[in-house]
Amino acid sequence: MLGTDAFAGLAEAAAASLGMPHLQLAAVAHPIGGIDPKLVRAKAETVVDRVLEALTRDPSPPLAASVATVCAVAAPGDLDAFQDFAVAEGWSDGLPVLPPTEERVGRILGRLAGDRTEVIATLVPRQGVATLEAIAVNAALAGALPEHLPVVVAAIRALADPRFNLNAIQTTTHPCTPLLIVNGPIAARLGINAGANALGQGHRANAVIGRAVRLTLQNVGGARPGREDRATLGHPGKYSYCVAEHEAASPWAPLHVERGFRPAESCVTVCGAEAPHNVNDHGSTTAEALLFAIAGTAATTGSNNIYLGGEPLVVLGPEHAQTFATGGWSKADVKRAIWERARVRLDRFSPENRERFAVIDPARFGDRLLADEVALCASPDDLMVIVAGGPGKHSAIIPTFGATRSVTVRIEE
Amino acid sequence: MSRLSVLSPLGTAAGGIKPLARRRGSLRGLRIGILDNSKPNAEVLLGRVAELLVERAGAGPIALWRKPGASHPATVIDEVVASSDVVLTGSAD
Repeated sequence: MLGTDAFAGLAEAAAASLGMPHLQLAAVAHPIGGIDPKLVRAKAETVVDRVLEALTRDPSPPLAASVATVCAVAAPGDLDAFQDFAVAEGWSDGLPVLPPTEERVGRILGRLAGDRTEVIATLVPRQGVATLEAIAVNAALAGALPEHLPVVVAAIRALADPRFNLNAIQTTTHPCTPLLIVNGPIAARLGINAGANALGQGHRANAVIGRAVRLTLQNVGGARPGREDRATLGHPGKYSYCVAEHEAASPWAPLHVERGFRPAESCVTVCGAEAPHNVNDHGSTTAEALLFAIAGTAATTGSNNIYLGGEPLVVLGPEHAQTFATGGWSKADVKRAIWERARVRLDRFSPENRERFAVIDPARFGDRLLADEVALCASPDDLMVIVAGGPGKHSAIIPTFGATRSVTVRIEE
Repeated sequence: MSRLSVLSPLGTAAGGIKPLARRRGSLRGLRIGILDNSKPNAEVLLGRVAELLVERAGAGPIALWRKPGASHPATVIDEVVASSDVVLTGSAD
């Protein structure tokens, strides 16, 4: 296997997760992409001897794999000293964590304690086994309460759905992380904020549920920042990214009902999401007029969705949603109208990117005129639209990783 | 300092160790497969390494496959394995 030195940790982790920790890696100096191919050919010269050796000599047999179990570990009893310990062990996200004592984990598991070894998912890239107990340990670190666990567990189940493409989300350089969208009666019961500052701070349920999922992905899934998690920049939602849809303020059927669930069912949807980008429109008073700012914000050249597809998310503030509804628009009308308007002319892309995107998506980028336009995603049905937020004239565009589909699952209580 | 017993958040990891194919002492006459992970310039690096293996070690011929996208698993693994003696692939940007 060939790679670059900057990505060696990920390559080695990928080989180990496939049961081949002894597969040799030949690394050249980073980067390979985005440079003159002549320089890349020169880099080949630096590594060919290593490749030749790796292909002709048997590697040393691997050491026995270290088997980490959900085991008790001695940690500092002092809460401040425990923070240093958690950071040093790689368990933390940098914010203070609560010690996952047996007592605390048992309390979070509650009546599920008897099923603590039940496997909810196997999480890549580490092939970590997310048992109920392992998830509860991370929920304990995150400061979650027992009633939050069913949402966290449902989200983990959804993340392991192959359509989500978790391995890519966990290891990509792109700044994405699972955004959890909670629908149904559980949102109000747990106090998951859907109103003012819905995507911001200040609500414990949003904060700890999203954080518990993120810590599970880091610890059980083995996506350690700067190692297997190769995000170039990341984004602040990687600490926690959880919102409820404001169903009461929406003129339309909520997301989970769109996807075939009953209104009274509680569900969580996961999508591999970037940070939100605001749409400020205080002036427009009609649906048609409001489209300008929304489509203008959504149509960007640097988005993954524009060449990889996937499902960009539009979070409409309740007042913007009402402007569309007053005009008699259904949610499908909104999706189609945004899709028809949120377009980028091909001459806005660099020649290198036009060439690359034509290989990746020939139907949309191949054999086109420079004056032709491409839409922000492959089809209007791919756009996701939810309603959230408080009073005010703002909405948000949340692009996604692209090579991922959102997944909605029922929350079992 | 007082000590506290806590549970590790890492859990267990599935899977064991798989044996690698036995290496032959020489690449002379061995078919080289390239599995391009479709990252920019991956085929340039992998292709040049393969050329150098032909020049220096008498390997060859070379055959190329391409993943449908860097973020998706290869769908042609069986074909690559059946048609190659050694395979070069990549993981990086």
